Amino acid sequence: MCCTHSFEDRQSIDKDNTPVDLSGIAGMKFFDPHVHMTSRTTDDYQAMADAGVVALIEPAFWLGQPRTGLDSFRDYYSSLIGWERFRSSQFGIKHYCTIGLNSREANNEPLAEQVMEMLPLFIYKEGVVGIGEIGFDDQTAAEEKYYRAQLELAKEAGLPVQIHTPHRDKKGGTTRSMDIALEHGLDPHMVIVDHNNEETVKEVLDRGFWAAFTIYPFTKMGNERMVEIAKQYGSERIMVNSAADWGISDPLAVPKTAALMKLRGISDEDIRLITYQNAITAFAQSGQINEADFATGAGAIDQSQRFEGNTVLRGGQQPRVDKNSIIIS
Amino acid sequence: MYNYNVDALKALFKDILSANTSEDVLNWLLHEGNFNTRFVMVPRKTGKAALQISREQADSLNALIPGFSLNGWSIDMLSRAWVLLSLDATDKNEYFRKLEQLFLAAEVNELFSLYSSLPLLAYPDMWAKRCAEGIRSNIGNVLEAIMYQNPYPQKYLDQSAWNQLVLKAFFTGKDVGKIQGIDARANKELAYVISDYMHERRAAGRDINPSLWRLVGPFIDEKLIEDVKWALHSGVYVNEKAALLALTQSDYPAAVELLNRYPELRKAIENNQITWDGLTLEFQH
Repeated sequence: MCCTHSFEDRQSIDKDNTPVDLSGIAGMKFFDPHVHMTSRTTDDYQAMADAGVVALIEPAFWLGQPRTGLDSFRDYYSSLIGWERFRSSQFGIKHYCTIGLNSREANNEPLAEQVMEMLPLFIYKEGVVGIGEIGFDDQTAAEEKYYRAQLELAKEAGLPVQIHTPHRDKKGGTTRSMDIALEHGLDPHMVIVDHNNEETVKEVLDRGFWAAFTIYPFTKMGNERMVEIAKQYGSERIMVNSAADWGISDPLAVPKTAALMKLRGISDEDIRLITYQNAITAFAQSGQINEADFATGAGAIDQSQRFEGNTVLRGGQQPRVDKNSIIIS
Repeated sequence: MYNYNVDALKALFKDILSANTSEDVLNWLLHEGNFNTRFVMVPRKTGKAALQISREQADSLNALIPGFSLNGWSIDMLSRAWVLLSLDATDKNEYFRKLEQLFLAAEVNELFSLYSSLPLLAYPDMWAKRCAEGIRSNIGNVLEAIMYQNPYPQKYLDQSAWNQLVLKAFFTGKDVGKIQGIDARANKELAYVISDYMHERRAAGRDINPSLWRLVGPFIDEKLIEDVKWALHSGVYVNEKAALLALTQSDYPAAVELLNRYPELRKAIENNQITWDGLTLEFQH
């Protein structure tokens, strides 16, 4: 997820302008376990599919501005399991989501109470692979209250938890998030701690949790730093995601990181674990991920949906547009 | 409440379910519980295997609800339909409220099941608006649930909603031949809208789905015959054949006369060598 950064910041960064070359990872499959597609354009889906992203998880997020009523939460959760899932399927990308009350939104307590009542309607839906993203932002008492309540919900439903760790006081907030999860009796193997960095990763792994890294320009991890972490810690229980959203972010962060890892000598198997398999292993504990739905490549068809052989475009996929042509027809 | 023999249908569904699930799953399905939770949790219990249905079962089904079939359904869809049938329909308002809540919070597979099950619901008139709302969806599978092998729209949509369904099918590249009642509910208003649509396609230089003509044919008049003449000179063979096929649906004297100028193609039509389904296939390749 995003935080503030100005256009000027971006201008002032001295950049290495190595062009993107994804040829080293051609044929590899990627799973982006954290990306807010509702904030992205349909062109991003196409670019992700082209780069080898076959499945993704969209965690429930805040809107960028406060939601003022229950219905806007309902519509948002519905879009994650409805429209967004369909939009994704048009590019052969399997769309999963995690459902939860975002920490920022926990601070509006009267509304948070109503949302908590509604959550059970959504968490048992097909393709809901966890409770998330939940955790701390300001680390207020209200945030803690609803974080704890949602941990209980996850435990009851047998779902993994996707934890957002705070931008400010990250190290303390990460430790505290894990302490509380253990206090509620969650198995660390059911908890994915997100937005790690060099300072938090060791404790997260030592305590048996999954460590996710968000490759997000300026505010979180860069992928060069990620390569160093992979060299130091290996690939066990480590995964990367883009957390692309309405901020300046990159929906191709996972394939680009894989490409950089490849260039810098990380083994293919470690790349596969970090950019694909570990996320599946962690979130498949929900019972809601069937790798066969996407592992065979674009356009795998859900057997529960009628498929009519009336078009070359499978499952409602869109025809391609040639972006290199000046002609738009 | 129901416009068909619901007890007979339930008995038939139970037979099909027991042939397609384990005893544990069947017991779960037969066991009453929270309606919403049961509906949502179905795939976790049943999986999603394709249904095996005997010829007799398919025939009985069609006898109970003409036009309805489980062709292409999976076990979770049938199980969800079963859960829907378990809802007490005595109180009409309460029944409506509970089902509307399912639609409002449904994910894509649930929507697909719900719209596919429209022909099974009690108070069939009451769901026409919901069906029209479904046609506004941009989700391909939802549209197909309503448009394909579903007897509900033909029977219960008013003309304007029906026309929207047909137009939306063309706009979204659906196989209109799979819409039940596509010819029976053809109407002049729709024929004129389709004529305008074909003009737009021509102006944009885009191809024209030959199936459009089957909705124009029965209403050919002095205006629409100009479209036919255009098609016959378009230089696109599939257009020409479709326009001629449309002429065979018309008693309009100028149409009959025009058709007679193409004796060979007329003969091919009479011998069923040119058909709407055949043209649709040709158009897609």
